[in-house]
Amino acid sequence: MTRSRACLLAYLVAVIGIGFVHQPLILALALAGALLAAGSLRWRLLRRAVLALLLFNAGVSLAYVIVAGWQGKAVLDALLLINLRVLLLVFLGFWLVERGKPLAALAGWPLLSMIATLAVGQIAVYRRLLDDFRLAFRSRNPLPPRPATLLRHAGAQGSALLDKSLQSAEQTAQAMRSRGAFDV
Amino acid sequence: MHIPDGFLSPQTYLPAWGVAAVAWAWAGRGLARRLDETLVPRLAMLTALAYALGLIMLPLPGGTSGHALGVAVLALVFGVRLAFLAYSGVLLLQALLFGAGGITALGVNALALGLVGAVVAVALRRLLAGAGDTVAVALAAFVSLQVSALIVALVLGIQPSIAHREDGTPLFFPLGPEITVPAVLLPHLLIGLGEAALTVLVWRHARRKGWVAG
Repeated sequence: MTRSRACLLAYLVAVIGIGFVHQPLILALALAGALLAAGSLRWRLLRRAVLALLLFNAGVSLAYVIVAGWQGKAVLDALLLINLRVLLLVFLGFWLVERGKPLAALAGWPLLSMIATLAVGQIAVYRRLLDDFRLAFRSRNPLPPRPATLLRHAGAQGSALLDKSLQSAEQTAQAMRSRGAFDV
Repeated sequence: MHIPDGFLSPQTYLPAWGVAAVAWAWAGRGLARRLDETLVPRLAMLTALAYALGLIMLPLPGGTSGHALGVAVLALVFGVRLAFLAYSGVLLLQALLFGAGGITALGVNALALGLVGAVVAVALRRLLAGAGDTVAVALAAFVSLQVSALIVALVLGIQPSIAHREDGTPLFFPLGPEITVPAVLLPHLLIGLGEAALTVLVWRHARRKGWVAG
């Protein structure tokens, strides 16, 4: 078994196990253990995990505080349990990505692996194109643009994005064809 | 609108993973023969578009996020099976790279958004074919988003009933359907208009390029 597969397997066992733990203290200890084991990555991963779930969990927690408070129920136990579990799961997910190379772990599923690889490539193309368009637009508009100009720009950008993205994906697909990726 | 990790009980996500695994096997069967250097770039392009749409999200108090999906356009251009597989890949990437959605929730998210969304979009477009292409495509995209949103809201809303302590304290997502359904559905009525407009635009682009008949 490759290292990526082993990481993926350990992660899957951990996330399923965490679903059966309902004691906040045990979840807090597990999170502390994961933080310790993550080594030098720990604070960066923790910051990413907290930022990723902050808005969602703050919204849900606030809504629950209002609803449960109105009904006269205690909220601390539930809030600790839910937020610690979510934080631990998201932290483990980011840790897996850092250490386990998820695309390599998908190698056993060729179709999923191929779609994921192409999609990751396309995401990079989109990001680069959007940056190019933004900079070009800014250089052509020294004054704040009017809404009509913004709309025209968005239309042109959308169309170019699809065309360029397709062109890039075609190049990738031809490269894959030459390496036998579509031979069945 | 995908559900994050940690909000679903194992009683929900384990059976959902089982059903999703069967659906993935069905969707993937014989697919390798269909994929060639013409179809794959188009699929990659629209899959990446769905991925990008999913990242522009608004957190909702109902425990999920509001955003366009792009599932309808994937389904209308490539069919249900490919759309379901491609959107499952999108959900996996979003979960692993951004912590949006999650591995435990992947089965539910893939079924509610990828499979049901795609089936509703394709079925409605066929059903409304007589109303004209633009109307049929727009309504298919709008309704498929609402159906997916309703399923997500209901799955979240039943969590306090199926997983709680003896004193009623919820163990997973804490709010009931009386909150999740309006909190998730109302914003998606507005988002659905954007999804419908975008689907029509991309559908027309695909038709101009000769990717789809009609």
